Amino acid sequence: MPGLIIDDIPVEVPAGTTVIEAARSVGIWIPHFCYHPALGSVGACRLCAVKLLDGPVKGIQMSCMLPVQEGMVVSTTDAEAQAMRRNVIEWLMINHPHDCPVCDEGGECTLQDYTIAGGHGLRRYDGKKRTYHNQELGPHIQHEMNRCIHCYRCVRFYQEQAGGTDFGVMGSGARVYFGRFKEGALDSPFSGNLVDVCPTGVFTDKTSRFRARYWDYDMAPSLCPGCSLGCNITPVARYRELLKIKARRNDGVNGWFICDRGRFGGREVNDPARPRAPRVDGVDVPWDQALDTFVLRLGELLATHGAGSLALVGSPRLPLEGQLLLARLAEIVSPGNVCWFTTAGEARGVLAALETLPPEGVASLADVRGAGCVVILGVDLLAEAPMMALAVRQAWRNGAKVYVMGISEWTFGSFLGISVTPVSSLDEVPPAERVKPVLIGNSRDLPSARVDEKLWGGARVALLQSGPNAVGAALLSVDHDGASLEELLASGRIKGVVAVEADIPGSWLAGIPFVAALDWRQTETVAVAQLLLPTTSWLEMDGTFINYEGRAQRFLKVMNPGIPLRGLDPTLHPPRIHRSVPPGGDLRPAWRLLAHLVERLGGRSPESPFTGRWERLRDLHPEGEGIMVYTHGSDSSEGGG
Amino acid sequence: MEQVLFRHNRPGRCITFAEYRSQGGFGALTRALRELAPLDLQQLVMDSRLRGRGGAGFPTGLKWSFVRRDLPGPRWLICNCDEMEPGTYKDRVLLEANPYSLVEGVILAAYALGVPHAFIFIRRGYESAAANLRRALAEATTANLLGENILGSGFSCHIDLHLSAGRYICGEETALINALEGKRANPRAKPPFPAVKGLWGGPTVVNNVETLANIPDIVANGPEWFRSLGATPDAAGTKLFCVSGHVQNSHCFELPLGMTLGEIIDGPCGGMKPGRSFKACLPGGASTPYFTREQWGIPMEFDAVAKAGSRLGTGGIVVFDEETCMVGATLNLIRFYARESCGWCTPCREGLPYVRHILERLEGGRGEPGDIDLLREQVKYLNYAFCALAPGAMGPVDGLLRHFQEELREHITLKRCPFGGRG
Repeated sequence: MPGLIIDDIPVEVPAGTTVIEAARSVGIWIPHFCYHPALGSVGACRLCAVKLLDGPVKGIQMSCMLPVQEGMVVSTTDAEAQAMRRNVIEWLMINHPHDCPVCDEGGECTLQDYTIAGGHGLRRYDGKKRTYHNQELGPHIQHEMNRCIHCYRCVRFYQEQAGGTDFGVMGSGARVYFGRFKEGALDSPFSGNLVDVCPTGVFTDKTSRFRARYWDYDMAPSLCPGCSLGCNITPVARYRELLKIKARRNDGVNGWFICDRGRFGGREVNDPARPRAPRVDGVDVPWDQALDTFVLRLGELLATHGAGSLALVGSPRLPLEGQLLLARLAEIVSPGNVCWFTTAGEARGVLAALETLPPEGVASLADVRGAGCVVILGVDLLAEAPMMALAVRQAWRNGAKVYVMGISEWTFGSFLGISVTPVSSLDEVPPAERVKPVLIGNSRDLPSARVDEKLWGGARVALLQSGPNAVGAALLSVDHDGASLEELLASGRIKGVVAVEADIPGSWLAGIPFVAALDWRQTETVAVAQLLLPTTSWLEMDGTFINYEGRAQRFLKVMNPGIPLRGLDPTLHPPRIHRSVPPGGDLRPAWRLLAHLVERLGGRSPESPFTGRWERLRDLHPEGEGIMVYTHGSDSSEGGG
Repeated sequence: MEQVLFRHNRPGRCITFAEYRSQGGFGALTRALRELAPLDLQQLVMDSRLRGRGGAGFPTGLKWSFVRRDLPGPRWLICNCDEMEPGTYKDRVLLEANPYSLVEGVILAAYALGVPHAFIFIRRGYESAAANLRRALAEATTANLLGENILGSGFSCHIDLHLSAGRYICGEETALINALEGKRANPRAKPPFPAVKGLWGGPTVVNNVETLANIPDIVANGPEWFRSLGATPDAAGTKLFCVSGHVQNSHCFELPLGMTLGEIIDGPCGGMKPGRSFKACLPGGASTPYFTREQWGIPMEFDAVAKAGSRLGTGGIVVFDEETCMVGATLNLIRFYARESCGWCTPCREGLPYVRHILERLEGGRGEPGDIDLLREQVKYLNYAFCALAPGAMGPVDGLLRHFQEELREHITLKRCPFGGRG
C-alpha cells in the first residue's frame, strides 16, 4: 500500500491505483473528460493535470495515467496545474459551439461545469470554428458532432465495452469524427449508454429532446423492471411524465451501464389511458364506493362458496411490499389460496431456481464479468437480459472462454463481437477450461436435469427469472405454500380471483363470477375484471425488488402519479378547477390498498410491510449494492449497504 | 572524409547486389553468424556508442539491452523508415543508393535480439526506396542471407516490407506499432515502452534506417573504429546531414558526427548562396529550435546541440538567409504539424491549430501585443501533450520566441510582415 500526500492529505491506496482514483478516495475530485472508471485511463484530454511537488516523479503530470508511488506529494491546486487545466478548457472551447441554450446537455454538461470552474471566461481565439455534418443515428440518439471534445469515451464504450462495429472514429488531426461508418440507426443494443458516457452534448437522448432542464428533473434512485437482473437506473421525469432513463452505478449488478430496452422502454407509465380511477362494472366510481363494493362482493362470494373459493394472485412484477401484504390478506380471507405465479411451469422453474441462491451458488453480474469460463445454456441473453450478455463480453475481454448450448453461436458471438464455442453438453467443455466457471440459464427451462449440473466444476449459476421480483414471489410461495393460479383453477373450486398486478389470460377468468384487479397497467386481466382498483406504477412509489440472485434492492418514488401534463386535454388549460390532486393522480401503491383491505376485513395491518425475517429490509438504502436475501428460513448476508 | 554509409554509392543509380557483395557486403553478417553470440553482438553495438539516428539519439545497444529474452512468445524488430519530418530526407537518399546495408543491418540486429520476424515500415511516398528494398530482400533471400537457416547457422529471419498508409505520426514508434497492427495510428502510453510491450504485446525494438545501416560496418570494423569516426571525443560515427535552404549545395552529406555548424555550411555546402548571409537554421529537422549565428561554432552532435538549446534530431539542417521572415517560416512548419496531429490529445489537436492561427494573425499584420505572451503560454502548455509531436512542433516556436522576438514585435508594430511575407 503506497502512501502519498494529495493536497496535504495523507492517502494510502493499493498499488496500481492511479492518482486520480487515490484523490477521489479522499474526496478530491480532479476534473477529467476521457477518464471513466469503467472505460479506464487513456490520457487523451489532458484535463486531469496535477503537479507533483516532491517524490519519485515531479512536475505537471496527468493524474489518470500516473500510478501512485510511495512518497509522492501531489498538488491539485498548484497554479501551474490550474493553468494547464484552464488551457485545456480554452483549447476545447475554441471549436465548441455556444449553443448551450438549445443543447439538451445544458445543466448536466461536464464541459459547461469545467469551463465555469476552470475560469476560462474570455475568448481569445478570434477565428472560425470547426463544423461537422451530423448523422441520423436512429430513433434514440441525437447526434451533434460540433459539440465534440474528442474524449474518445463513446468509441471506447461502443467498440471495446459493447463490441459494436458500426460506430467508430474516423479522420485524424482536428478533423476526427465520431459516428457511424454509414449513416443509419445504431446497431448496438447498448447504444443509449453513449448518452451517459458523453461528457457533453454530442449524444443526447432523442426521445426526451427539448423536454426539460436538469434542474427541473424529478429524479430518484430506481430499478429497471424490465427483467430479473435488477439494473440500477435513474429515471428522469417532469410534470408526471417519464422523460428518460439514465444508468445508475452499482458495481455488484449492472456496473455503469444499462441496455437500450431498459433505457427506452417502460414508457407505458405515461399512458393517459392506463387505469387511473376505481371502476365497478365498467363505471368509474369514487374510491370509497369501490372499496365498499370490493368488501361487499368478497363477503358475498365467501358466504356463497366458502373460504376456499377465492384465489389471491400476485406476480413476479409486484414489488415485495405488495407480495407480503397479499399474503397477509390471504390469511384473513382465504388461507392457503394465495399464489404469486400464474402458470404452473413458471412457478416450478422459479422455485427450483431458489436452490442456486445460496452465496456459494449464485453468480452475480460482477461474478460473470470476472468469470474465467462462461457456459450459456440455451438462453438468448440479448433478447432476455441484455446486460447479462454485456457482462459475458467483459468476461471474454478478460480472457474467459465462452461456450453456448442450444443457441446460435453465430448470432450471439458476432453480435457481441466475441468468439464462442458451441457445445452440445456440459461434458464437452474441457475440464482444464473450467476456471471460475459460470453457467447462465433460464428458470423457465427448469426443472430439467440442468440444475443438478451446477455441481459441475464448482460452478456458480445465474438463472434468469420471469420478472423483476420473481425471487420475492418464489420465497413467499415457499413461506405460504403458494401454488400457481393454474393449479388452483384446476381444483375447480375457485369462484373469485383478486389479481394484484398479475397478468392472467382473460380466457382463464371467463367462468369466474368475481374478478377484481389491482393494477396500473391496462392488461387483459384488468379488461375482464368487474372491479378495478388502480395502483401506482413503480415510478410513483417506494418499493423493493429481489433480483434473480436474491439481492433485495430498494427503489424510490420518482414522480407524483397523475396524467402527464402532455396527456391532458389542451382545452382544459389553463385549469379552471383547482385541486390538490392532479387529474388521474389519486392512486396509491398496491401494498397500501391491500393493507387498507386487511383492515376493512377485520385484520390488523402492520405499520411496515416488513415484519419477521423481512424486518431488516425496512432500512434498505437505495444506494449501495443491496442486501442478499437467501433461501427460505435461512440466514441472509449483507451485500453492502 | 571517410564515407561509411555512402561508401557503396554509384553516381546516378542504385548499387547492385553483386557490387555490394564484392565490396565486402554481407561479410559482417557472415562473420557475426559464425563468430559472435547474439549478446556479443549487442555488446559490440553498445561499445560502439552508436546513438539512434531517428531523432532522439538514444544509445542503440542500451535500447536493445532492455529487451527481456526470457519471456515466452516472439520478440519483434521494426525498422522505422517513415521519414516525414520536413527538411529530412537522409533515409531516402540512403535507400535510393543502397538498400543492402539496411537489409544486412536489420538481419544483424534481428540476430542480436533473437527476432525471427522483422518489419521495415516505410513511408508510402518512398516508392523507389521501397522498390530497391523489395529487390534487395528477394536477392538476400535467394542467396540464403535471409529466410530459413541463414548460411547454415540455424538462425532464421524473415523481413516484411510494410508500406505505411502515410501520416507523420506513424514515425512515432508506438503509433507506428499501432499502424502496423492495423489500428489507428495513435501513440500508446509509455510506460510500458515497446522494449517491454510493443508489437502485439511482445517486446519490440524500433530503430531508424540510418541506425541499422551502420551496424554492418560496426561489426566489420569494430567499435573502436566507429568511435574514431566522430569529430569530437563524445561523438561516435558519421552522420547523414541533409541540408536544404539558402546554401550553395543542398545535398545529403555523410559527415563526421560533431563537425561544427559553420564547418558544415562553409565546407561541403559551399557557403550561403551568392549575396546572401546566414540568419538562422533548423539544426535537426522541423521540430528543433532554431540556431543563429551565435551557434555557428557548436559541434553538431547530440549532447552539444542539446546544451546549446536545440536538438540534433535527424540531422536535417534547413538554412535561412537574412531576408527570410522567421515568423512566416515558423508558420509554415506549424501548418504541417497542425495538419499531421493524430487528433488523440487536446493540446496537439486543438492547440496546434490555435498556434497556427496566432502565427497567421501575426504574419498577416493583425497581431496584438499580447500575442507574444500568448505564444509563450502555448509553448509551455503544449509540452504536456500525450506524445512528442506537439512538444516537437513547439521547438521552432520556442526558437522564434527566444531568438527573434524583435522580429515578432516588428510584425505587430508595423501591422505587416517586414519581409513582405517571405517565409
